[in-house]
Amino acid sequence: MSRTVVAIALAGALVAAGALELLGQTVPPATKAEVDKLIAVLKSDAPHKEKADACRQLGVIGTKDAVPALAALLPDEKLSHMARYGLEPNPDPSVDEALRGALGKLKGRLLAGVIGSLGVRRDAKAVPAIARLLGDADPDVAQAAGRALGSIATAEAATALQGALAGVSAANKVALCEGMLRAAESLAAQGNRDQALAIYDRLRALPEPHQVRAAGLRGAMLVRGKEGLALLKEHLGSKDYILFSAAVRTTHEMPGAEVTAALAAALPALPADGQVLVIQTLAHRADAAAMPAILALARTAGKPVRLAAVRAAAAFPAAAQDLLKLIQDSDPEVAQAAKESLAALSGPQVDAAVMEMLAAPDAARRALAMELIGRRRMTAAAGALLKAAAGDADAAGRAAAIRTLGDLAGPAELPALIDLLMRAKEPQAVAAAEQAVSAACLRADKPESCTERLIGMLPKAQASQKAALLHVLGGVGGPAALKAVRDCLGDADKEVHVAAVRTLCAWKDIEVLPDLLALARKTDAPTDRALGLRGYLGWASNNKTPAAERMSICKQAEGMVQKPEEKRLLLSALGSIATPEAIAMIMPHVDDAATKAEACAAVVSAAEKILKGPGAARAAPRLLEPLQKVAQAAAGDMANRAKAALAQAQQAEKAPPKSPARKKQ
Amino acid sequence: MPPAEAAHVTRRQFLRGAAAAGGLAAAPWIVPASVLGRDGAVPPSERIVAGGIGLRGRGMGDLRWMLPEADVRFVAICDAQKTSREAVKRAVDAHYGNSDCAMYNEIREFLATRTDIDAILMATGDRWHALAAILTMRSGKDVYTEKPSCMTIAEGQAVVATAKRYGRVYQTGVQRLSEGNFVFCIELARSGRLGKVHTAYAHIAPWDAAEMKHEWLPAEPEPPRDEVDWDAWLGPCPWRPFNSAYIRGGWRGYYDFHTSCIGEWGAHTFAQAQAGINALDTSAVEYEYVDNPTGDGMVTKFAGGVRMILTRGDKWFHGSCGMRFDGPEGWVAAGDGYSKPDVSSPALLADFKKIVGDYQARTGRPMSHMRDFLDCVKSRRQTVANPEVMYRTMSTVHAANICMWLKRGLKFDPVKAEFIGDAEANRMRSRAMREPWII
Repeated sequence: MSRTVVAIALAGALVAAGALELLGQTVPPATKAEVDKLIAVLKSDAPHKEKADACRQLGVIGTKDAVPALAALLPDEKLSHMARYGLEPNPDPSVDEALRGALGKLKGRLLAGVIGSLGVRRDAKAVPAIARLLGDADPDVAQAAGRALGSIATAEAATALQGALAGVSAANKVALCEGMLRAAESLAAQGNRDQALAIYDRLRALPEPHQVRAAGLRGAMLVRGKEGLALLKEHLGSKDYILFSAAVRTTHEMPGAEVTAALAAALPALPADGQVLVIQTLAHRADAAAMPAILALARTAGKPVRLAAVRAAAAFPAAAQDLLKLIQDSDPEVAQAAKESLAALSGPQVDAAVMEMLAAPDAARRALAMELIGRRRMTAAAGALLKAAAGDADAAGRAAAIRTLGDLAGPAELPALIDLLMRAKEPQAVAAAEQAVSAACLRADKPESCTERLIGMLPKAQASQKAALLHVLGGVGGPAALKAVRDCLGDADKEVHVAAVRTLCAWKDIEVLPDLLALARKTDAPTDRALGLRGYLGWASNNKTPAAERMSICKQAEGMVQKPEEKRLLLSALGSIATPEAIAMIMPHVDDAATKAEACAAVVSAAEKILKGPGAARAAPRLLEPLQKVAQAAAGDMANRAKAALAQAQQAEKAPPKSPARKKQ
Repeated sequence: MPPAEAAHVTRRQFLRGAAAAGGLAAAPWIVPASVLGRDGAVPPSERIVAGGIGLRGRGMGDLRWMLPEADVRFVAICDAQKTSREAVKRAVDAHYGNSDCAMYNEIREFLATRTDIDAILMATGDRWHALAAILTMRSGKDVYTEKPSCMTIAEGQAVVATAKRYGRVYQTGVQRLSEGNFVFCIELARSGRLGKVHTAYAHIAPWDAAEMKHEWLPAEPEPPRDEVDWDAWLGPCPWRPFNSAYIRGGWRGYYDFHTSCIGEWGAHTFAQAQAGINALDTSAVEYEYVDNPTGDGMVTKFAGGVRMILTRGDKWFHGSCGMRFDGPEGWVAAGDGYSKPDVSSPALLADFKKIVGDYQARTGRPMSHMRDFLDCVKSRRQTVANPEVMYRTMSTVHAANICMWLKRGLKFDPVKAEFIGDAEANRMRSRAMREPWII
């Protein structure tokens, strides 16, 4: 009977007996029989593995009854760890007694292990015994004692740790300090502020290790609360970079305007390194009170500090006007940083400042404003951009406005954008307008809703505009758009005809297949035929095309491929289909010198895919002959792959497929 | 030099002075951020001195990511396996055109003696991630560690406590939190554009299982300790006899060494999903057991009622490490290999650049997980995948695993980090560590 079934049966009995509430849990404990069985394994002469497994299970379900058997294994070199594995999570107090009892009997690693477990269990009664081991000659033991006392963290434990600090060896110092830090954290959490501070202050005053000094300062600042501000101020002026940076780092954990003020006040007098660190910290706080000090450095400091300050200004919306000045800074890096910050800055006042810039007489300022409008996604500026696109005095400005509209415009701006396209003459303007119209259509929840309006423009459009509209229709897709593009195949203008052909060849839905097949069969128009055939075969290589359809395309195309490059396209498609039928179609091309290499590669690629799949065993017999032929026909690595696949196929006839390959992430 | 600057010791001065004093020679030192990482060449004295622990397949990928950073100087590798140590040394020496990369086989000696190292890149197996990160931070170094970054809930708590205690910078390698497509999905979900997200889907690995192996592979003769230090390789895990399959990557799937198919990708995707539902400071509170070997389809719930569903197939996304958010007004999904996220409506993608750009500007995070770590080493701020993020999301992983192992639904209190009404589950929150590898 499984544990689950036993558990369900027991649950009913326990509910009936009212035991559930007493146990404090909704899931019944393991049965005594289960625990006894595991205990019996421990007491038997079972192999190491079985005893280790029993210990692991007792870690989850062991009761008081299991403690003596587990404790008996603590001195066992092979099983001491697994005994602790079984004991450590068991809440029964007898575990502590057993572990304490082992302290005087063990040495070396095993003793260190037991000390560690007592630390995990925070056994206050173990403090005197563990404290005596702080000076043990074995570093593993002494270090375990330091950490464990820190975890137990009674006042007695803290006192023992502090008493040992003066005489601690270099090798054990970090572990002892770790214990002191743990103890200080617990003491502070328990409200024993004075003893915690005594530890922190002592540690931060040490000459080394540096990480302990920094940790001591952090604790000393945080436990002092508001009084920690004085320590912050003191160390903001410190010559000691370890403590300076630790103090700044600790402010990430200290909210409050006073802390911001202290950091900002310290800024002017700091060296450049310190200024950068504090600026970044202030930006993270995003407290507007720090903005004037940061902007002052953005204007006047050395370059690394200026860059840090300009970047930090992105945290303060009120910095917009200063940043607008800084984007004209003579240093291009500073100007670029200012632009980045402006692009990121949130708030209506920033938008207003950018709109003001759009009306500037200087064309370069207007172009910059358009860039910022695009990057800030100021959709409300679409009207102003349309106006600029139509009437900006500067040609580059008009193009920039159209480009920005492409970044921003949605369906609401579509009529105005189509109007822009219909009025565009120069190729660059047509291309920009096409991109903007296309983007606006694709932002609609249902892009096909734009189709009718686009088609309506076709009769009025000139050739280049018509070609642009066809490209847009290709992006939108749908039956109506497809028909409109198809109708333009017969257009007398070559530009329009080519646009229609290319749009069909790039069509995103499979409904286009008959049109592509018709193009591929056009013997009187070699370019159309080649483009159509390539587009048609492209669908055979597309994973989204149903497998049966892909095979059908290849069969249709088989009689049409003429040139070697067309045959290669067919082979590539067949190789990607990966069925024995596709391989059969590839095989004649193995004998053709012009396509031999590609045909061999396609056979091997298809066979490898088949052999990795669930149908490998079934398909394997049909792969043997093709692979044998390819193994002989191919050279080098391809021949080796063919031989490997052949061996795999021979194997697959007998064995089931492997599970998916592992990929480490 | 102005007086204030004269009074402030630069890194080079500090090292020189300390060396002269004889006591603190080459003490590790926080880089003064006088030159920010992306501003061009960084003077050697202000580079981040880096070392590595346990870098093999994935770790070598991380190393190739780190080495080109202009403000990093990688100086030493520590590994219990000689072939791995030597492979890293070859790669590093080839990169720098010298033979300077030092090799160590004992982690405690490495961390204690290489006091010049500021930051460690670590990609051991799962069993060592938390312990090595803790030892590293306790030695005063920052750490970038591969995932899954803890074997138990208790280990996760210890990582958080150690990073706080010493003010160290820590990044867990859930790199999709720093990739545009995933950031877009997360930001879109948080922005309300999908309405209030009610369901997130998180990919779990399509190999191995939630059910773990306990058997031992047949014993083989232990190699010389200099070639493979088997005791160190096992680290805090229960002892078992040596078999070379383990050290060739065959440790996955074993209870003692691995966090299951749920942890393998859940370490990534739970972080991604929890970021999108604004739950990086908590863990799921309910776990529904599913009667299959993998956990596929397990529904977890967060305190606000949002569901996160574990999914193993490609129903909701293709590629690997996928995620998806569903709200009443739309959905968004992404996985590896997407050119752009999948969305319920094309209009949702219109602001892709703006949303990712705004995220970068608001947070100051680059779209490079390694760069984020290195920037934070200098600025001392928290990384995007900081210890709390790791602990909370890995607690969801561990709770889901425990749910599968106990074959019953569980309720979890993230504040107390306790299962509610299930003593056995609570006893699985930690595992006694093998001596002397005790934190």
